[in-house]
Parts: sequence; structure tokens; C-alpha cells
Amino acid sequence: MIEVNNLHKSYNDVKALNGLSFGAKDGEITGLLGPNGAGKTTCLRSLYGLIKPDQGEALIDQVSATTDPINVRRGIGIFPDKFGLYERMTAREHVQYIAELHGERGDSLERKVNQVLQDLGMEDLADRKTKGFSQGQRMKVALAQAIVHQPKNLILDEPSRGLDVMSTRILRELMFKLRDQGRCILFSSHVMQEVATLCDRVVIMVKGQVVANDSPQALCELTGKASFEDAFVELIGTDEGIVA
Amino acid sequence: MSRLLLTVWRKELKDAIRDRRSLMAAMSYAFFGPMIMAVAFFAVVNEATSERDLEITVKGQSYAPEFVEFLAQQGILHKESEQEQPIVVVIPSDYQERLARAQTVSIVVQADYSERNGSGDRSRVTRAINSYNQVVASTRLMMRGVSPEVVQAISVDRQDMATQESRAAMLLGTVMVFVLMSVFFSGMNVAIDTSAGERERNSLEFLLAQPIRLFDLVAGKAAAASSFAMLGGVLTLIMIPIVFIYVPLDKLGIDVSFSVSQQVLLAVILIPLALLASVLQLFVSFMAKSFKEAQTYITFVMFAPMTLVFVLEFTRFEHVALQYLPVTSQHQVLMGSISGNPVALSAMLVGVVSTLLLAVVLMFGVQYKLKSEKAVFGL
Repeated sequence: MIEVNNLHKSYNDVKALNGLSFGAKDGEITGLLGPNGAGKTTCLRSLYGLIKPDQGEALIDQVSATTDPINVRRGIGIFPDKFGLYERMTAREHVQYIAELHGERGDSLERKVNQVLQDLGMEDLADRKTKGFSQGQRMKVALAQAIVHQPKNLILDEPSRGLDVMSTRILRELMFKLRDQGRCILFSSHVMQEVATLCDRVVIMVKGQVVANDSPQALCELTGKASFEDAFVELIGTDEGIVA
Repeated sequence: MSRLLLTVWRKELKDAIRDRRSLMAAMSYAFFGPMIMAVAFFAVVNEATSERDLEITVKGQSYAPEFVEFLAQQGILHKESEQEQPIVVVIPSDYQERLARAQTVSIVVQADYSERNGSGDRSRVTRAINSYNQVVASTRLMMRGVSPEVVQAISVDRQDMATQESRAAMLLGTVMVFVLMSVFFSGMNVAIDTSAGERERNSLEFLLAQPIRLFDLVAGKAAAASSFAMLGGVLTLIMIPIVFIYVPLDKLGIDVSFSVSQQVLLAVILIPLALLASVLQLFVSFMAKSFKEAQTYITFVMFAPMTLVFVLEFTRFEHVALQYLPVTSQHQVLMGSISGNPVALSAMLVGVVSTLLLAVVLMFGVQYKLKSEKAVFGL
């Protein structure tokens, strides 16, 4: 469970977060939707304690990311804004490394790594060095790293970038599966289609603040628009920086 | 040592070992440094020892065979040829007769005394004759029951510190500097790759978001880089005696055959230095945004300790503090191992501690920097 309470963060005179508050429940997929520059990445970074908010706090399973980031990170899986791979290491070694950093050892490590490689359909990639991997293949490695330790909370920063149709499907099914296991999934996106089909709840943020927080259907009803796209444009007041 | 530190260490080592090219580049310092020095040595040794045999013309050899023999032992040889050598020694025909009667024998040394180049050779001949004089005179005194020391109130011991020999000693010091250099350079690529490289390939943010203390992360990376630094240093230490088997250093009275225990001691002394070098490299390259940028910075930073060591090496500056400070203390230990007056164990320990302290301070510096959002995200 993720709770964000009144987060403020400024860089020089730019306010990246301006009193952001929302929650993401276990067993639900929560979408954080906003135009480019709305503060999505800043918000997610403060969830795993890499950014210290000027004010307010982020709680994950009641643990504060500001004061106890190590414990918070044990309970989350991260798919970051930027992810890079070590091109001299195999996909399996990537996943193993992260699992080990989460304290996995021995048989349990082996089992979890094999499980995630299988879940993501990566068996044929597993023992290849990641140099020359396609964008989709690289995404899969990053996803496997995010979920190998079976975290209760999953934070994904624009996970569907550059994925082909098959990979998008795998991602979608994976997210549904994890949700049905009762995990809390928070992902950011600026692609509305994705948010509308995946999410149980949508948090729309603009300029570091939440402007709407409800299910996609409810948001359409709220604005009186038939399509989610129109509802979204209505809510943020502009169609700048948005992909349909 | 925590398990996560070991995890990071193992992963970084594996990654670095697979990078053949930078591995080879790193190790080339260890190989080629001593080799280049060995070649330079060949030249110096040959030059230094070429004056061994001095050829002169001795007239009247048959009058004083023992004397000629004595000169030959000093490396002054009679050359049989039509043309006279620049230096001619004339032995009088009444040599044996006067010697037997304990009268002064007059031996003539003919040469062009205005010629400057030959002055060394001339004085060598004169010196040899004088010392033969001493031998004969001492024998005479002893036969008369008088100690030769009676007539030798003061003896002058010449220790030649000059030119070729000292140049050779200096060069040998430079060889030991190569050990320090390979410690500094062998781990450099790994240090850059695990810091600036991590940022360049965009894996830094994800790594920092893992549940690992910054200390373990930084220490693991430093351990990986210093493993390589140590590998380079140890390789150089092993290479030096091997390469110098082929250089006739014994002619200069220099010995570079280390015992195994001595080499092990030197290697142990290098461990804190390797750690310091790696942490320093991490510190600098975490400031850089890319691999190339880090390389530029590091070249500047590496310049400082190396210049320091070379300056000390060439100016022969000596001070007690040098035995205790990072970098210079290791330098002193290495130099001590070849010059024959080793550094005291207590001083070595102080050097180890001061080096480790500086490394720890820098380690905190790296951690501090990784806590800064500005540094991590390059804002």
C-alpha cells in the first residue's frame, strides 16, 4: 500500500511537486497520469527515497521513505524512468544480482530467478549477454529485475515505452496477475489508452498536484465526456504533452 | 563484512574481468613498465662498466712481472701493438735491484697531461701505482717489525657516489615507482566503469534504489577496483626480478632479487594504497557524467601523486614524515627494499594507517555525494 501525503519539492524556482497527495491500494492497479513535466518521475523517486521532499511524506506499507528508505526498498519493485543494462552480463545474471541485493540466497534465489524468467517468457534470452538486446528485450530484463523478489508493491515509471505488441501483452498480463495476487501496483504513464484499459484507479496530476483521482469510468462521468481522452483533456485543461 | 558488499564486489569483478580490452590495457602497465626500464638499464650498465679495462703501454715489463700482474688485477692492461697507447708506463731496468736494496724505484708515467678527457685514466694509473707502493712499503715495515699503521696516520676511504652508479640507483628507484604507478593505473578502468560508467548507461538510479546501504555499495565497488589495482601491483612486483635477471646489475653492486617473503610484505603494503587509489578514482569519476569525462578528470588527479613520487625520486628529498604519509610511505618502503636500509616496521604500520584513514575519509566523500540528488540525477 502506498500513501503520498502533501509532497512538496522545488528545484530552484520550479515547483516539481506542489502538495501532492494520493493513495494506491493493495490489489489494485493505480495509474499516475499526467502530461510531460507534471512531476510523475519526481513523485516516484521520492517513493523509493532517492529524492527527499521539502515537505510531506511518502509511506509504503506504513514505512516512511524519507526516514527508512532501506526498509521501504525491501518491499518494493522498481521499474525506473531510465534503466541501463550491463552489456557484458547475461539477463540471468542481471536478475540474480538484484535478487541478491534483496537478500536472496541459495535455492530460494535460484527458484525465484527461474520463475520470473519463465513468467516473462525469457528462457531463450536468459543466458545471452545483454549487449545487442532490442528495446523490448531490455525492458523484459528490467521488468524481471523489478519483480524477482516478489515485492508487495510495484512502482513502474512508464513501463510500456518501446514495447512491441507481444511484449505489451506480456506486461499487461503480468500486471493483472500481480494485482490478482493482492499486490499494489502504481505506474506512471502519459499514454491514455494504456491507463484506461489497465487501471482500476487513475490519479491525474498536473504541475505537481492531483487534479482528479477516481476510476476511468467515474472520470468520464465526472466530466460528462464519452471518451477517456476527452475527459482527460478537460481535466488538465490542455492537450499538450499527451499521447492518445 | 556484509554479504551485500560481497555481492557487489563479486558482480563488479565478474563484469570487469569480461571486459578483456580494459583488462589488457590495465595489465600492460605491469608488463611493459619493468621491461622498458630493463632496456634502459642495459644501456646504463654497459656505460658504467665499460671503463673496466684500461689499455696502456708498459715498457720494461720483464723487469717487474709482479708489478705488471698487480696492474692487470686493477684492470690496467698492457697492450701489445706497434702504436703506443696514450698512457705509457716505463719501468727502469734496475727495478729489481733497487727494490731488493729498499731504495726508491722511479716509475715514469708518460702521457699528455693537458688532455682533459684522459685525466680519469691517468689518475687511475697513478692510483694503482700508489697502492702498489703501499703494498710493498707495508711489507717492508712488517719485515722490520713495525706496524704499517705507524706511517699511515689517516686513511681516506673513497666512496664513489658519482655519475653512472648513482644514475643507475636512481633508475632502479624509477622501477619501483612503476609498482606504484601500476597500482594507480590498473584499477582505473574498473573504477570509472563502476561509477561514471554506471551513470552513463543509466543504471545508477536503479542501483541506488535497491535496499543496500551506500557504504556497502561504495565499498564493494572500491574493493573490485582495488582488486585490479592489486593485481597490477603484484604483477609488477613479480615482473621486476624476472626482467632484471637479464640485466648485469651485479656489476653495479645492486641486487634486485627479492625473497618471496619480501615480495609478500611489499604486496601487503600495497593493499591500503590500492584501496586509496580506487576510492580516489571513484570519488573523482562519480563527479563525471560520462566515461570520457571521468577519464579526463582522473588523468589530472593521478598526475598529483605520481608527480609527487617522481619529484621525491629525483630530488632525493628526505624527511621523516615521508615514511608516514600515504603514497610516500609506500614509496619509501619500496625504495628501502632495494637500497638495503629497510623502513622500520612501526613506520610501515603508521603509513598503512594513514593511508587507510585517507581512504575512509574519501569513502565518506563518495557516500555523501551519492546522497545528493544533484549528483545522482545530474540536475
